[in-house]
Amino acid sequence: MVDLSVDLAGITLKNPLILASGIMGVSASSLKYVEENGAGAVTLKSIGPKDREGHHNPTVFAWGEGVANSVGLSNPGVEVALAMIKESMDRLSVPLIVSIFADKAENFVRVADKIMPLKPLVIEVNLSCPNTEDEFGKMFSLDLGAAERVVSMVRTVCDRSTKIFAKLTPEATDFTTIGKAVENAGADGITAINTVLSSIIDPYMGCPILNNKIGGISGRAIKPVGIEAVYNLYKTVKVPIIGTGGITTGEDAIEYIMAGATALGVGSAIYYRGIDVFQKIAKEMKDFMEKMGYKTITEMRGMAHRS
Amino acid sequence: MRYDKPKVVSIKKIIEENSRVKSFLFDLEIQAKPGQFVMVWIPGYDEKPFGVILKDGAGLMITVAAVGRSTKALHQMKAGNLIGIRGAYGSHFHLPSEAKSIALVAGGYGMVPLAYLAQEARKKNINVELFLGARTQKELLFASWMKEIGVKLHLSTDDGSVGHHGFVTEPFAEYVKNKQTDQVYVVGPEIMEYKVAQICYKKQVPFEVSVERYMKCGLGICGQCCVDNTGWRMCVEGPIINGEDLKKIIEFGKYHRTASGKVEYFPWVKKTKN
Repeated sequence: MVDLSVDLAGITLKNPLILASGIMGVSASSLKYVEENGAGAVTLKSIGPKDREGHHNPTVFAWGEGVANSVGLSNPGVEVALAMIKESMDRLSVPLIVSIFADKAENFVRVADKIMPLKPLVIEVNLSCPNTEDEFGKMFSLDLGAAERVVSMVRTVCDRSTKIFAKLTPEATDFTTIGKAVENAGADGITAINTVLSSIIDPYMGCPILNNKIGGISGRAIKPVGIEAVYNLYKTVKVPIIGTGGITTGEDAIEYIMAGATALGVGSAIYYRGIDVFQKIAKEMKDFMEKMGYKTITEMRGMAHRS
Repeated sequence: MRYDKPKVVSIKKIIEENSRVKSFLFDLEIQAKPGQFVMVWIPGYDEKPFGVILKDGAGLMITVAAVGRSTKALHQMKAGNLIGIRGAYGSHFHLPSEAKSIALVAGGYGMVPLAYLAQEARKKNINVELFLGARTQKELLFASWMKEIGVKLHLSTDDGSVGHHGFVTEPFAEYVKNKQTDQVYVVGPEIMEYKVAQICYKKQVPFEVSVERYMKCGLGICGQCCVDNTGWRMCVEGPIINGEDLKKIIEFGKYHRTASGKVEYFPWVKKTKN
């Protein structure tokens, strides 16, 4: 019998497939719908200090090899979101990951502090959303000091029972060093990767399609980028990694596990294969493992590192 | 053919329907059923969902009222100007295979998807009773087109300039009391849709309704248009919902979510939640 369950920083997931942040997770109902379609855990769309409408449309489109977005961190703000987080915890049977973002380290702490009374299992600190405006300046995860500071400050207001995952971008030149730094700052895990900065221009219109001009790409196009990031990160850190980026099939998922991921973020695949993509990928993973004679996820983890 | 990246096309023809509403026609090979929508990119402004019509002999048509910044910009455009179109997206209306007579209830621009449905129904020789309401006679959309294809019109206006002086729901309620109808289709302001739904439940008439929510991706991933409590995406599982499924959408007629994801109650509902 093949077993898909994994232990993610002490939290048991029935399967390693996690709804990635920014996809679907805008309400308890949307998260529940994803759970019903087979996800092993779900992530809430990033919550920030205050109400944000995000960018004007076009904010999302599919361009053939992937999805482009500049939704722009729309969220109702942490005060309003508390009721939704609570409702999600009450209704879900799988673990909930609460993603947070802010414009400065102090505000990350403020957001985390507001959520803590609800005792979330996991807070994912989004240090790498490319859809930021000038007020945010550079992404936190491009700057070792900034990434380290946010994680260590959030750690001070979180109980040990709440696990902190830092979501990083591979666009940092010292990506693995930043990974090591956030681990040392108290992160219980790392999520890699976020979408990759990009722009797509329509040649007939002669301008970028996204209203924000630039955005992040996700989907199949970025899978090899994600695999490289997880592969190198696995060599550097001891904490578990949620491998994210272009996972669409069971084999994609296995690739990430073999690179060293403990769990897997799935997002744009909902576009390619429907809301039940979690069930589909889980079945394909099982089929692969049966065919190849693997019994557990653990025995495949980091396998690609064998010399 | 469905487009997920905006397909840039030039406006072939513009028809002025009334002082506030224009129809835009395009040469674009696209698959779209009545009730589905396209995302229309107006460069520099916005991208918005619009109900789609594949008009016999004319092709792809969208009909837009100038109400906001981006729709006003669209109204300024001329034939030959470029816009982007992706889709068509979402669920669509169903005509029961044995249907003999159907009733359509349209409020304002809700007439757009229903006009396409009426065209398809008339081709199958189904009797179509159309309850069309608007503020005033000049704003009754597609009335002459509908008459031409043999649709039976029941008009209502807020100012009484033509037809019933009052809400479109009133002559409709009278009609279903006495007449046999196989299915009802309703598109319009949500309060009107809600009233029609209550009438249909009471009379046990099957119906389909278009549930409109703020949309971003149209691809079923951003979650913006998910409804309570099912989590269904109005760009994939919706916007066309049948009466039985509608019972599971507890927010229908009560509230919706703004661009930030915040719950906002409709003005006619007393706040009871949050």
